[in-house]
Amino acid sequence: MTTALRSSLLPLLTAVSLWLASASAQAQQSRDALARTLPSSTLTGEEVQASRTRLLAAPGFARARVAGNPQAPDAHAIGEGSCIACHQLEADHFTHTLHALGLHAANKADASIPVCETCHGPGSAHAQSPQTPGLIIGFTKASGTPVEVQTRTCLACHKGGPRDHWSGSVHQRNDLSCSDCHNPMANFSAEGLLAKASINDTCAQCHKDIRIQFNRRSHMPLPEGQMSCVDCHNPHGSITSPLLKTNTVNETCYQCHAEKRGPFLFEHAPVRESCLNCHTPHGSNQNTLLVAPIPFLCQQCHTGQRHPNDLHTAQSLATGAHPDERVMGRGCLTCHANIHGSNAPSGPRFHE
Amino acid sequence: MHAQRRSTLLCRLPLALALAAILPAHADSGIGVDTWRANKLDPTAGAQQYTPDARGTSWLIAGQRRSPTGNPYMCPAEPPALDEFGSWIGYGVLQVGAIATSGDDRNALWMRYADWDSGPILGLLDYTWQRPSDGTYANVRASRISADDQYYQAVFGRAGAYKIQAFLRDQPNVVSANARSIWNGIGSDRLTLPAPLVPAGSSVADVAAVSAAAGERTLSVKRSKQGLGFNMFLSPRWTAYANLSDEQRKGARPYGGAFFFNFPFPANGGALETVKPIDDHTLNLNGGLRYAGSIWRMDFSYSGSFYRDRYTRYTFQMPYALWAVVPGSAAAPLTTGQMAMEPDNDYHNLKATLTRTLPLNGEISLTASAGRMSQDDTLIAPIDCTGVFGIGLGGNLNPGPANPFLYRCSDWNTPAALSRRSADMRIDTSLLDARISLQPSSDISLRGGLRFNRDDYRNGYLAYNPLTGDYGYIAENGSQGSIVPGEVGLFNPITAPSNITRVRSLPLDLQTIDANLGADWKLDTKNTLGATFAFNRYEPTHRERRRIDDNSLKLTWINRSLDWLTLRANYTWKKSNGDRYEFDPYEFTYSIDLPGYVPPAGGTPSHTVEAMRKYDMSSRDGHKIDVMATIMPREDMSLSASLRGDWNSYDAPIGRQDYQTSSATLQWDWQPRDGTNISAYAAWDRSQLRLSNVQDQQNGAGVDPYLGGPNYALSGQWWLRDKQRNFYGGATLDHRIGRVRIDASWNYTNARGLDLYTYAGSSALAYPASVTGTGPGGGQFPAMTYRVNALTIGVTLPLAERLSLRVFDYYERGRVSDWHYLGFDAARVIDHRVYTDGGPISYNANLVGVLLNVQL
Repeated sequence: MTTALRSSLLPLLTAVSLWLASASAQAQQSRDALARTLPSSTLTGEEVQASRTRLLAAPGFARARVAGNPQAPDAHAIGEGSCIACHQLEADHFTHTLHALGLHAANKADASIPVCETCHGPGSAHAQSPQTPGLIIGFTKASGTPVEVQTRTCLACHKGGPRDHWSGSVHQRNDLSCSDCHNPMANFSAEGLLAKASINDTCAQCHKDIRIQFNRRSHMPLPEGQMSCVDCHNPHGSITSPLLKTNTVNETCYQCHAEKRGPFLFEHAPVRESCLNCHTPHGSNQNTLLVAPIPFLCQQCHTGQRHPNDLHTAQSLATGAHPDERVMGRGCLTCHANIHGSNAPSGPRFHE
Repeated sequence: MHAQRRSTLLCRLPLALALAAILPAHADSGIGVDTWRANKLDPTAGAQQYTPDARGTSWLIAGQRRSPTGNPYMCPAEPPALDEFGSWIGYGVLQVGAIATSGDDRNALWMRYADWDSGPILGLLDYTWQRPSDGTYANVRASRISADDQYYQAVFGRAGAYKIQAFLRDQPNVVSANARSIWNGIGSDRLTLPAPLVPAGSSVADVAAVSAAAGERTLSVKRSKQGLGFNMFLSPRWTAYANLSDEQRKGARPYGGAFFFNFPFPANGGALETVKPIDDHTLNLNGGLRYAGSIWRMDFSYSGSFYRDRYTRYTFQMPYALWAVVPGSAAAPLTTGQMAMEPDNDYHNLKATLTRTLPLNGEISLTASAGRMSQDDTLIAPIDCTGVFGIGLGGNLNPGPANPFLYRCSDWNTPAALSRRSADMRIDTSLLDARISLQPSSDISLRGGLRFNRDDYRNGYLAYNPLTGDYGYIAENGSQGSIVPGEVGLFNPITAPSNITRVRSLPLDLQTIDANLGADWKLDTKNTLGATFAFNRYEPTHRERRRIDDNSLKLTWINRSLDWLTLRANYTWKKSNGDRYEFDPYEFTYSIDLPGYVPPAGGTPSHTVEAMRKYDMSSRDGHKIDVMATIMPREDMSLSASLRGDWNSYDAPIGRQDYQTSSATLQWDWQPRDGTNISAYAAWDRSQLRLSNVQDQQNGAGVDPYLGGPNYALSGQWWLRDKQRNFYGGATLDHRIGRVRIDASWNYTNARGLDLYTYAGSSALAYPASVTGTGPGGGQFPAMTYRVNALTIGVTLPLAERLSLRVFDYYERGRVSDWHYLGFDAARVIDHRVYTDGGPISYNANLVGVLLNVQL
């Protein structure tokens, strides 16, 4: 019945109202149906009733219901035991995940709460015709389940919060499924039920060009496992491009570089505007993630009279005919050291 | 005078800890950092050690399934061996052993973010307890490579109910391993010269000798962080979270130190690469409430960050004496320079998001956010000196009316010389964001967004000394005014009415408005087309333009027509322009804007050339393409390829003119059987940045700002192309033979950068007399290169049912050349220039490890 409501063409408001009105009846109906179909080895009858007196389902799983599968509208739930009859090996791997822990505990507290069918939808049609794609909600390329159905199924429990802006996000628009990045069928990663061994490896499935930038001479400590892509980006959608977790580029950087936040007595305009005016965020052939070598980085803007606008050659290096502090070592920053802003009353040119 | 701040964080910590204990919280993909804790030994935090299950994924289907995009899933790990403790079960792994490094194992590039240290290590402790009856669980995970590279974390929770997390983490960051310091006191706020060096009285030879004799040392910054987090379901719809962390940074890094130019004045001035102490704390807090209903969703959050630096400034002794350029005059001895540290600052941000479902399968989301960044740090005095500074005419260092270029330190070396004692600076931020998406049919989705963002600067600073009536500041620790008469950095309407100097802070209020409108259309089940138009209006204040409009149109195509291919492609057209470009909007921050200013004879020099267009302000045309393909040639094989290009052309006669980046990647993965993975990748990227600049011809006195005029003559124009080209490659093997596991990986990076210049005439050059180059009017800097080969080979041998031994070798060979540091291996002291850091150096280093794995 829930499935019918979800696929209804009636205005959503009406549908949700109807659904809320009939929610308790549905739960009872599902529980009874499940109890009849579960094999005797699973929790049924008195055992269920006894466990319900001991435990309450955790809130995160208390509303878990059999997912709706528009490709099998007449299917009904058959229970985890039936699933395991064929998918024993999958169950072996799944049972150690956080999803399994929560769903099994919830199922013990309330037998109407399904386990496998929370995500995969009712299994009866699939059990009758296991080779027909789409009769069970699958999360793989060959499953026959549309990506929208896959994501909608996950969001039934995981909507809101960090995923509040999934709809319309660049990943949603590019037709990505939750299961492109996550694989909750086993623990492939230490945390996050990821499809790969780490967040960074998961992102690199598609963003290899970004991942290799971290191999450059200066880089954020991502290859060393000291941070992850998700420290800066929210892959589930955000209000700041490109999927940044804060309101601006600079606020993202200040999360770890709080000393740069200021505001300083004397500000450097492009620094306040965006750290990315001078730094590339992932990796650079230059020192300290700079976009270009000093002094040329600075000379893109500074052509003021006297010393900033001269063209230097290799003769200005320590090995040249006329070594010059504007080029050697830290270059401009040897004197304009507080380039991110100065709090010294004598620091308007960032010398102090 | 050395102001050491008494950190209030330590006082706050107990309170914060108590707060964390009662508030809900935890870092997630929506807010905060600390999403991952691992190290270079195992960046996956244990997952790379999972033993693939020889049984595969399923009894029903051989091999691995693919994600909806087509990437192959990994083979699941063998289920853990479980131990029972009453109603609890437990499983885990302990990995202990030792590593030994050799070769150039103190090299900064080798050690940058990994503090390899020969000796025993805790590779990994990862243990999980679960109580299946109610979903309660606990986990501890830890790894210790060294005292500077370690993490420990503990998690306790109940699935679907709550989660509490605590962690400790130390991260290394080696910034130089070949530093030679002429100063004592590295890491403190007082750098002093050792004997025989004398402040303001040392010879170049003496300084060079001390530098050469100084042992090479490592400069690094260690981040130590502690955190607590808690999130919980208050009901099936309401959740709450809170996170608290406190991070200390401690160490030192190369920095600057200005005592005026050396290049035009041999044996004069001072360009000193000093060593900055790093000793600070940052307390970060966030917390919030979230509601996820069937119609409404809500998210209310607070983020706070409080930065505290132990020091307000650090000082360094100046080894050299200065001399005044006026014959017969004397420069006052200056012994000490100072550098302000970053100020303590506070940050608060409140954010609320309301989202509501709409008919037509849509939703609308509104976000409002308000924040504040503020600091009120005690200001340091304009100069650290005793006696006098400046120039004594005729060799007379007695201040008075006869010595107009000599200044009493007592008028400038205390906070009484300031217009106010503390900074009192603040930026208020506000943001409103609205977005809507609709899906009127299964084939069409529409979306739109509107966003308003504003930064408001509060307060400003006027550089005025009530003791003297002067405006401005003391330039470069008093050195500039001690070498060139009148260049001390001060304006006085009576005594120096024509001096041009900075007198005000620069408020950078800004406002942005973004709007976007887009649609996606599913042509059929295999093809989706999309288009998004985006508009951004950026309105800064006190910048070269008051308004900049960015327009872009992005077209996307997703294709799944072929079973063996998923293709995602997009093209973006970009155009940016704005209102009139004002080449010098900063006049109001200079003494030119003060009453009593009298233009010098010949007129007020132009600040810069009129033709300059700063790249963040200039008009721009751009194109961008992005193609990603996932190819599945066989059941057990995948290819991933990407092509990207971003071409930007700037309307700038002077300034950045072009910036282009492009890349291509190819990745091959093969899983011939469960437990065996082979992969390889090759990639290439390049960038080219073109800029132009022009040297002024009238020694700073030119009043004509126009390109082609007498000051910015066309003969002084020059052009530079910075070209970067990188190749990457690598391969991995993970293979099981029985219960023996063999793994190997190789990564290769080859980066090469060239800076090529041309110029209109020799007057463009800093040193016209020494024109060099590969051809007429042009030349190039030596190539900047970075080439690294990294190879890992390991074997894991079973010793018993729950016991195995991993033996591995990690070898890295790096070849690096950075022209900034050429010649620094021979000498770090070049006249009055003193360098501490020797720059990056090539290395060969090896690490051998033996680790005992115990399945607990």
